Amino acid sequence: MKTILQAKNVQKVFGAKGNVYKALEDIDLEIKEGEFIGIMGPSGAGKSTLLNVLSTIDTPSAGDIIINGQQIIGMKEKQLADFRRNQLGFIFQDYNLLDTLTVKENILLPLALSKVPTSEIKKRVEKIARTFGINEILDKYPYHISGGQKQRTAASRAIITNPSLILADEPTGALDSKSATSLLESLSMLNEQNHSTIMMVTHDAYAASFCKRILFIKDGMIDVEIHKLQQTRQEFYQKILDVLASLGGGNI
Amino acid sequence: MTLFRIARKNIRKNFTNYFLYVASMIFSIVIYFTFVSLKYDEAITAATESSQKISSVFNAASVVLIIFVAIFIWYSNSFFTRKRKKEIGLYSLLGVRKKQIGRLLFYENFLMGIIALFIGVLLGSVLSKFFVTILMKVMGYDVIATFAISTNAIINTIIIFILIIAITSIYGYRLIFRFKLIDLFQADKEGEKEPKASFFIAVLALIFIGIGYWLALQNILESEAWRKIGIMVTPLVIILSVILGTYLLFNTLIVYLLKLTKKNKRRFWKGINIISTSQLLYRIKGNARTLTIISILSATTLTAVGASYSLYYNNKGNAELANPNSIMFIQQDEHLANKVNDKILQEEKHQIIYHKTIPTMQIRVDTSSLNNLMGESIQEYTFISTKTFNEMAGLQGRKDRLSLEGNHAAILDAGYYEGLSPEYVGSSLSLHVDSIAEDITFKKLLKYNVLNTKTANITVVIGDDLFSKLEKETALVNMEAYKITNENNAKEINEVIESILPDDASFSSFYNDYSLGMETSGLIIFIGAFLGLVFLAATGSIIYFKQLTEANSDKGRYNILHKIGVNKREVRKSIAKQVFFIFALPLFVGIAHSAVALTALSRLMQTNLLIPVFICIGIYMLIYVIYYFLTVRTYYKIVTK
Ligand SMILES: Nc1ncnc2c1ncn2[C@@H]1O[C@H](COP(=O)(O)OP(=O)(O)OP(=O)(O)O)[C@@H](O)[C@H]1O
Ligand SMILES: [Mg+2]
Repeated sequence: MKTILQAKNVQKVFGAKGNVYKALEDIDLEIKEGEFIGIMGPSGAGKSTLLNVLSTIDTPSAGDIIINGQQIIGMKEKQLADFRRNQLGFIFQDYNLLDTLTVKENILLPLALSKVPTSEIKKRVEKIARTFGINEILDKYPYHISGGQKQRTAASRAIITNPSLILADEPTGALDSKSATSLLESLSMLNEQNHSTIMMVTHDAYAASFCKRILFIKDGMIDVEIHKLQQTRQEFYQKILDVLASLGGGNI
Repeated sequence: MTLFRIARKNIRKNFTNYFLYVASMIFSIVIYFTFVSLKYDEAITAATESSQKISSVFNAASVVLIIFVAIFIWYSNSFFTRKRKKEIGLYSLLGVRKKQIGRLLFYENFLMGIIALFIGVLLGSVLSKFFVTILMKVMGYDVIATFAISTNAIINTIIIFILIIAITSIYGYRLIFRFKLIDLFQADKEGEKEPKASFFIAVLALIFIGIGYWLALQNILESEAWRKIGIMVTPLVIILSVILGTYLLFNTLIVYLLKLTKKNKRRFWKGINIISTSQLLYRIKGNARTLTIISILSATTLTAVGASYSLYYNNKGNAELANPNSIMFIQQDEHLANKVNDKILQEEKHQIIYHKTIPTMQIRVDTSSLNNLMGESIQEYTFISTKTFNEMAGLQGRKDRLSLEGNHAAILDAGYYEGLSPEYVGSSLSLHVDSIAEDITFKKLLKYNVLNTKTANITVVIGDDLFSKLEKETALVNMEAYKITNENNAKEINEVIESILPDDASFSSFYNDYSLGMETSGLIIFIGAFLGLVFLAATGSIIYFKQLTEANSDKGRYNILHKIGVNKREVRKSIAKQVFFIFALPLFVGIAHSAVALTALSRLMQTNLLIPVFICIGIYMLIYVIYYFLTVRTYYKIVTK
């Protein structure tokens, strides 16, 4: 299996002199192609920060990050942007939809930016809208749709380019259990069929049980790591709950 | 006092907001003070003896300036308060009493106004000297302006601005009472609906502008429409219909066109087009009023400056048309004529290019047979022979040569105005000289004269034979005509000759008309350019401010785009495109409006304004382009920070 992402001694410090806060403390991490990794941990543990750093949106204070064989520390701005657009797909915790665009336009934005032919764009948007059940709201503006619909729109935008690495920050946070399941199933399907590599931050043990490997983060460090291996989802779910309990209660 | 402390802390925290507001106030005060100083400046009043006329022009212009300055300050004030509504709401939420907040806003605004007034007058004092020097130059004087601050100007400025400041302060005080808390918090929110555009209203925009243009381009004297609506009312109709059309244009037509471009997916879904187009669409409706104001201001500026510059530009030509000879007078006394001749010869500054004594006849004629619309029907025309005409035309470098048979005649009318002047060609005129009565027929009209208009009035050229026949019955009047070098700098010789000749010698000179024209048109162009610059600076600033606010609310959007992989070059391109649209639209519309206005004007004045107007538009665009690049740069900086 090819290594998609490799992080070595990654650190992230916020703030200036006198008022520094270490959000990430020495993270080592390797992700192979086709993995579905979950990241869990209490609020403020540094999950979003880790995701941002790995996704080149934010720069680490120290350490190396190699994605798809490319060292991304010290890459030119334009290279980074192209890299993000072509290789990565994000589903953000706070959606990050453009309120000036309709749902449809939001979804197809990455394709338009990459100048994909119109007919191809149409095909892909249709397919994805069906997958996430948002055909009805395609011509609405983000202002007029619910949180869950926004999240599904964001997810559609993230995967429409068939990225080699999908990064999701609590993609099910605002979804009811039915749409959460359908989103998770679509992610799983992408993972199984397209061999897309997925990294997902979540608080929810049920969502995490769709992953194949889970990292538990605490105070900016990787604390525990568990693998699904041959377990069923039910068994894995149980195991996640056990770990969470052992890590110090339900305050996650 | 705690309230005072809060106010001080506010100012420090929202520095840029306050800075922009105070800066625009200072700008207005400097402009106004400078202008009023000019009005009271001793060097100018002393140099221009016709102070009555000058001061009335200044007064009219300062009224325009006051109105404009008041609007501009009002605009910056509401821009400023709009950005602070949230903060005000927060105080209210924290339990500060409304009355206290109102007082805070009042003091704050008043204090800033006083500071701005102080700085403005200080800066204006320095600037006014600079402007006085320029004004003297364009009016054709080389006086060194003395530096003196006029107390009158200071008092005038203080009164006007204390009034404006007081009004805005009271408005600030009342703000808190006029809004509910929730409104204050939502003040910053953008319009959330997708703009609608009806095809019908889009067409209406074009119709309104079309009607305005069509009316403006009518021949005023003959137009049926003008007569029906009324000569005085039509200009008003034109202005209103164009303004309304412009507003609808921005409010609907542009929205409609943008939506149309959105329909073309192949272009819209390509690269950053999708971002810039939808961003524009989202904003344009909220911007319609500003864009309309800017278009109208631009059009007014261009028209006023273009027209006044044309006046200045054409001054020399007009003086030449009225005075083909540098100096001309009626010779009544040979002795005086010789004295004048000696004086001209003595003057070292000037060489005589030619000197002619021209034999003419002054004959009173009844012009009622010419369908004369203007003036008295009995007029005194000057008659010269074909020979004289050809000789003078040759000396003055004209190509026309006449040869007239029998009772055929040609008329020389330098003040000819199509439609108002008589229709000469083909008409006849009866001459009664003593016992002789002759009917002459005009075969040719020349729209210039070879004699100076003030000395000779309208001149009739008749055949040499007819001339000698009439000559026997009436006294010849000799006219002296000189062409000298350096004719536009002939103040001294002019004064000398004027002192020698009696009034009824009808002395006329190129210099007299030229310098008078320079004085009045110089003043007009100065004021035109001054106001033009002020308007330009203001329109530029309005767009600049507006764009910067939008940049701030776009920050989040560009941040999202950055996250999903839009690089900085694309961001810059998208901004450049978007801002270009906002800048180019009103400029384009303004130029179109002013082009129509100036075309109408040039028809009315029957002069060609093309070159001066192109120069004005060129300069205007240049300054505008600088604003554009400045805005793009700042926008980009804000968004990518
Ligand atoms: N830009 C920033 N400046 C300063 N501190 C920051 C910044 N971003 C995050 N932090 C701090 O870093 C820590 C980690 O934040 P992060 O957003 O990664 O938490 P998280 O694990 O995603 O939490 P949650 O589950 O609530 O989303 C937090 O204590 C946060 O306050
Ligand atoms: Mg987070």
